[in-house]
Amino acid sequence: MKRRHLLALLGTFSFGGAAAPWRLVATPLRAPGTREHVTRSMAAVAETMFPGDGLPGAAALGVHQQVLAVPDLQARIAQGMAWLDRHAASLGAADFLALDQAGRLAALDAAFASRDDGIQLFVLTMRDHLGTAYYSTPAIKSAFAYTGPPQPDGFADFQQRPS
Amino acid sequence: MSGDEGWDTIVVGAGAGGGAAAYGLTRRGRSVLLLDAGPRFDPSTDYPLSGADWELREFPQKPGSTGQVTFAPGQKLGREPLLASGSRGWGPLANGATRLMDGYRHVRGIGGTTLHFTGEAHRIHPAAMKMKTRFGVAADWPFDYGALEPYYVEAEELIGVAGPATQGARWRSRGFPLPPHPLSYASQTLGKGAKALGLDWQANSRAALSLPWNGRPPCNYCGACNKGCPIGDKGSADVTFIAAALQTGRCTVRAESPVIRIEAGPNDGIAAVLVGRPDGSIERIAAKQVVLACGAVETPRLLLASEGLANESGEVGQNFMDTLFVNVGALHPEPQHSRRGLPSDAIAWDFNAPDAIPGVIGGCRFYNASGEAELGGLAAFALRAVPGWGRDHAKSVRDLWGHALHVGAIGEQLPNRESRVDLDPDARDRFGVPLARIASALAEADIARLRFMVEKSRELLAASGARRIYESYSSWDWFAATHVFGTCRMGDDPASSVVDAFGQSHRWRNLWIADASVFPSSGGGEAPSLTIEALALRTAARMASI
Repeated sequence: MKRRHLLALLGTFSFGGAAAPWRLVATPLRAPGTREHVTRSMAAVAETMFPGDGLPGAAALGVHQQVLAVPDLQARIAQGMAWLDRHAASLGAADFLALDQAGRLAALDAAFASRDDGIQLFVLTMRDHLGTAYYSTPAIKSAFAYTGPPQPDGFADFQQRPS
Repeated sequence: MSGDEGWDTIVVGAGAGGGAAAYGLTRRGRSVLLLDAGPRFDPSTDYPLSGADWELREFPQKPGSTGQVTFAPGQKLGREPLLASGSRGWGPLANGATRLMDGYRHVRGIGGTTLHFTGEAHRIHPAAMKMKTRFGVAADWPFDYGALEPYYVEAEELIGVAGPATQGARWRSRGFPLPPHPLSYASQTLGKGAKALGLDWQANSRAALSLPWNGRPPCNYCGACNKGCPIGDKGSADVTFIAAALQTGRCTVRAESPVIRIEAGPNDGIAAVLVGRPDGSIERIAAKQVVLACGAVETPRLLLASEGLANESGEVGQNFMDTLFVNVGALHPEPQHSRRGLPSDAIAWDFNAPDAIPGVIGGCRFYNASGEAELGGLAAFALRAVPGWGRDHAKSVRDLWGHALHVGAIGEQLPNRESRVDLDPDARDRFGVPLARIASALAEADIARLRFMVEKSRELLAASGARRIYESYSSWDWFAATHVFGTCRMGDDPASSVVDAFGQSHRWRNLWIADASVFPSSGGGEAPSLTIEALALRTAARMASI
């Protein structure tokens, strides 16, 4: 199962015609301050999903900036962030950023469990994009064995127990 | 009009079949124009696999390197929880109601699909060539294994196939040219499980060099065959058959030259091929002999789009088969780091014979599928093998990285009348040629075979110590064909086959087919490239003898 196949499949599911939500969010995203809010919220999502466990977290590595730069994800991110902010508001917080770490984790869990249109897909998409970027970062890969490129050396120890 | 060069033969398609046909003809003194719709690939620049982003790089897409196809609606599914595709990290793949018609995995270009193939080099089981006579299903090959054996030898020698001394029913007149590859650590682990189950877990025969051969270096066990081989040890058609054909000085290779129509002439002969140019114009090339080697999807498409050429039997596009596949991943208690080593380096042929699976006709084989699972990198592992997110996820990734093992199974699909390739009435390419439309349906026997394949794969993993299954994919709900067959079946009877035993059209005497579309049956899970090449060499020998 190749990742690009997964992404292609994700694109075929719900999120009820990406054009419609894009029209809804396009203007707010351009408004002063909104971009910053989305960026900070994405950093919080990235850090909540991939906090590092002793390694640098995803936000510290700037992974969220990579994902924010993907044009095809703009509408999805805006819709998902709006949902997270509304969810936080329903709990009495100002927005997702106002939640503590446990609250943010619970909000992501709630989004994944939500049956609202496209929200579960938002979580899966963020997990895939943020996670791929995070675990492809040299600073993270270097903390794990056998993560280097296949060439030019190959694996001379391929018959042996991993070192 | 061109064609002034006066090539003896025009070969359409520069993959396994076309490359081998070109080699077989040129080494016998014939001149060949080898055309392919796709581009050329340069291993050193197109897939170096030496960058930090290696995991994110798949076999490269270039303009024209993937053909367009469409799909008939997927088959409605019953309830088969064991066969449902998905992973713990990504969740279910398909919707559970209909089979996902996801794609036809192929490469157009000089080397064709062998550019991204794993490189297993298998001979077909002799009994799998006589499915009609022996088991009352599919169709017989119009000759025996012995008629193909010398051409297997020729292909293996040119490629430099590395393999074991014997492979059971597949008798050999000569040993493999190179010794087998040593088994990876992961395959050794799986071998312990196989032994406990009584399976004969052995070195796979591989189109990858275990020693230097014909100026090519040996494999360095990087594990990334499917991303393209940058060092040239993998026996793809570009570095073997096509390179050898070019060395004769009688082969002209043209990339980005899609043949869009075969033009019939008088007296049951082919007059010319029409080739699309990048600027949209069309070139007519006069033909003395034409060999089609576009694969089991594009070859019937080209014939059907040429006013149903060679379809006197009505069998062009019928009998479409794709091999059944299963791939199961599980976590072993000890680190394996199974990306190290040659993918598919070990295999069990125990259930490969057509009558080897209890209660089901048609065989399969099991193998170390860690390489083909595309789980070599940290990112894929973290997202597929470990569900969720947060600190628990991060800790699990750290604890479990490198513990993955995969077992795969590939099995026979029997032909049925619901599985076919025809022309899409609504979709055309840039030259106005209708696209191929693939319809694929599994019969109950195919599903029963898949059940056996999944169950045995899980048994093998468990017996090897890997009991925590985290993903399982199968062709029950996921059509993602790589091996395709049968759409221009060969046979002795012109009423029920498209070409004869040598790949020659029953009617059009200068038209030949040299790809897997001529297979009357698919075999019991063998990788088809070596058989395609042997068939093409046999066709070339026949052509040169006339």
